[in-house]
Amino acid sequence: MPDEFEAFLTYEARLMDEGRYREWLDLWTEDAQYWVPCNEDDIDPARAISIIYDDRDRLVQRVERLLSGSVLAQQPRPRMRRVISNIEVSELAGGEVTVESNFILGSMRAGTKHLWIGRTIHHLRRVEGSFMMARKKVLLIDNDAEIPLLQFLI
Amino acid sequence: MIDVQNLIQGTRIHGSLYRDPAVFERELAAIWYKVWVYVGHESEIPNAGDFVRRAIGLQPVVMVRDASGKIGVFFNRCRHRGNMVCHLEHGNVPAFKCPYHGWTYSTAGDLLAPTFEEGYDSKLKRADFGLTPLPRVDSYRGLVFASVSPDGISLDEHLGGAKEFIDLFMDLSPTGRIDVQAGIQKVRYSGNWKFMPENSLEGDYHGPFIHRVAFELHSKRTGLDMSSLYENEIPDVIRSLPGGHMVEDYRGATMAPPNRPPSEARRRYAELMEARYGKEKAQQLLTTMAPLIYVFPNLLYLMTHIRTVRPVSPDETFVYYQPVLLEGAPDEINTERLRMHEFMFGAAGFISPDDIEIMERNQIALQAAGNDWLFIGRGVHRDKILPDGGSTGFTMDENHIRGFWKHYAGVMHAGA
Repeated sequence: MPDEFEAFLTYEARLMDEGRYREWLDLWTEDAQYWVPCNEDDIDPARAISIIYDDRDRLVQRVERLLSGSVLAQQPRPRMRRVISNIEVSELAGGEVTVESNFILGSMRAGTKHLWIGRTIHHLRRVEGSFMMARKKVLLIDNDAEIPLLQFLI
Repeated sequence: MIDVQNLIQGTRIHGSLYRDPAVFERELAAIWYKVWVYVGHESEIPNAGDFVRRAIGLQPVVMVRDASGKIGVFFNRCRHRGNMVCHLEHGNVPAFKCPYHGWTYSTAGDLLAPTFEEGYDSKLKRADFGLTPLPRVDSYRGLVFASVSPDGISLDEHLGGAKEFIDLFMDLSPTGRIDVQAGIQKVRYSGNWKFMPENSLEGDYHGPFIHRVAFELHSKRTGLDMSSLYENEIPDVIRSLPGGHMVEDYRGATMAPPNRPPSEARRRYAELMEARYGKEKAQQLLTTMAPLIYVFPNLLYLMTHIRTVRPVSPDETFVYYQPVLLEGAPDEINTERLRMHEFMFGAAGFISPDDIEIMERNQIALQAAGNDWLFIGRGVHRDKILPDGGSTGFTMDENHIRGFWKHYAGVMHAGA
């Protein structure tokens, strides 16, 4: 049973790692919310700043920009690979599932290697034998520290 | 011995200013530990015992509100054996207790208790062992500044003409007060700190090159057409103020109104603004872009936020983006400001990361010292000298950057 979740997270990770941003966008529902909080993991986004707080429109713009060829930190695109583990699944009502997992992401660009580490909380919706992402919240261990540019998908 | 004045020659500045450790050392002494440096905003520590940790240059300080409500800025160092008395980034404490040997200080900096006091010479006075305050602390409209040096001009004199522009920004709040409690985005880059002030008020020139896509996306989302600001160069926008401050003053450049009707929240906000400032001033505040401001050496006030620059080494800098909420404005307006801020700024924003990438490439390129001069001469022939001793130029002119370097040269020379 956990295999289908692991397979989904692994697929999503591959799309992000390989810059397949449009395919990644296709994984999202219309009411998407992509959230990387800042300073603390639990903040009120109406009153506090986030690193990323995207609705569907903003998400589409994010991908459009990343693929525009104009993002300087994507010239060249960072090489990256992430490992996902410690998966915990809880079923919710109405075919929705919360999947929590840890990740370690190594990125390499312009001679500098950086490790991004955190926990992701996916809120998945079952759609025709697969899943779509309705919400995704990424808790970076250094969301309260001075970080380098995050000009890719996490 | 570096001859700073020889490295800054009007329209050309020398590459070593961005990379020479000796220049960095001199900057610490002559700038960071001499002049007024912005520390934080009063709203960050609303209650007695609230504190935030900050740095002035490389020196750790803590800004704290004491039991009487007064704000103090202290060196973050125990008077006993020099440990940090405050190791958390922010919080609330009844007193600062040094973790090493338990010396405890009130939030006003007084030594309350050295531990095992019976072992100390009875002639020693506690009053001589309080936390060391920064010699000078002062504030303007809630912005708290401090100076490591006991001597120098007053904050009022330091801010000078910049106050008028700070006022314009504060006046976007229907109460005239801002709220800087929405958190801090922290970003680091491998480049010199001076790239940040140079770049931050120069978007009119580099914008079409590195921010084009983001500007288009922004216009699409907000219905604001920013292109009018870039089609024709506008005089009297860019300003250098005495004191090394820089301004982009957009009061003469009214924006086309958004191509969609205002939201209910925006209508209410406009009403609140009119109630406080009257129709004419409210209209002006709401239909022109707020000025972009740089206050020498570390404070930027840009669109959605207060930005501070913290030097780490010649080629490493920390940047702090603190969104500004408008006290008294409808909640939706402030939430909108946060979303706008995330769109533009921070590590994952659509605009400032391109600037930071440019700064990192700048740092690399400036290792190439074959011809070691940078040219900042755009518009020098049409600089207009103003009565305050500053000057102004057209939107894309490097007028303000020349003003920054001229002031920098004076301060660095004086500090030698």
